[in-house]
Amino acid sequence: MKDEDAHNEENKSSFVPLILAAGVAVFLLGLVVYTPILIAGLIIIAAGLFKLFKEGASEKFAQRKKADEEDYPMESVSNEKLGLWIFLTSEILIFGSLIVAYLYVRVSSGSWPIASQTHNVLLGMTNTIILLTSSLTMILGLYFIRLGNVGRLKICLGGTFALGCSFLAIKLGIEWPTLIHNGFTINSGLPASTYFVLTGLHAVHVAVGLVAVGYLMFRAYTGGFTSTNHVAVENIGLYWHFVDIVWMILFPLFYLI
Amino acid sequence: MPGIKLYVGIWLGLVIATVMEVVVRSLPGTASLIVLVIGLIASAKAIAIALYYQHLRYDGIRLSTLPLAAIVGIVFLAVSAAMTISMGM
Repeated sequence: MKDEDAHNEENKSSFVPLILAAGVAVFLLGLVVYTPILIAGLIIIAAGLFKLFKEGASEKFAQRKKADEEDYPMESVSNEKLGLWIFLTSEILIFGSLIVAYLYVRVSSGSWPIASQTHNVLLGMTNTIILLTSSLTMILGLYFIRLGNVGRLKICLGGTFALGCSFLAIKLGIEWPTLIHNGFTINSGLPASTYFVLTGLHAVHVAVGLVAVGYLMFRAYTGGFTSTNHVAVENIGLYWHFVDIVWMILFPLFYLI
Repeated sequence: MPGIKLYVGIWLGLVIATVMEVVVRSLPGTASLIVLVIGLIASAKAIAIALYYQHLRYDGIRLSTLPLAAIVGIVFLAVSAAMTISMGM
């Protein structure tokens, strides 16, 4: 039995975290040094993601059943979900720190532009409703796959993907170019730099979420999910809802107050 | 497992709350009161998503301690920042 466990553990080892970490390091180096290095970093990240998709699709990371005492105090929570929540906790710290930094410079500054004069409230509200709807389609996808309805899961995932793309299209295709055209650039002062850093970081998270939803769609269309095997839908859903929550805080901060 | 009606109901509530935020912004009143009301609505929306869409309501209090611990840390940071500002003024 011990030999079998050791064999299983050996099979689960993966170079993917190393490849992704190296890709991010090369990407960030390229960001400040030389554009071709940045592209090389993106290629390494893409290769890492491809390998991750491949290994995930083959269920390489499926966990063996453990004794309850090994899971204390989270007996009712799977390893995958616990790992995801630990990751989300670190994300709360990242976004929380940046939001507090934003509030600090805003309160400390003598003057600050009125939100509605700088940003388009209607576009902000539209994007908020788009993200809320994408969260609804995501949770409905989980609901349907729990019932074993793969067809409706595909529809829901397609809806989530389309809504996420719409959010980014409005943000990066309409809002940002308009702001930059009006002289509100990342170099034009603290109100602009804090806006672009926070909404830019959020947009990166949405883009990552879209890649993850794309992976779910690939698995849904290749018969990867059943009523009893859908842990990826639940966990990527948790990430997607987190990105939604962050926007619920950023929207009033930048558009309303 | 929660049903479709609950999920759609929560979504409807969140959309209404979003419209309310925008409406409150243009109501007459002191700036601090408007900021407080908008802040409360935004927090309620975030909590609703975490409880019902992320299923924290059904996963037990132990799992909730993880995000709560991070939020406590952020509140501590915010209080520290506020104290720094008040001491400087």
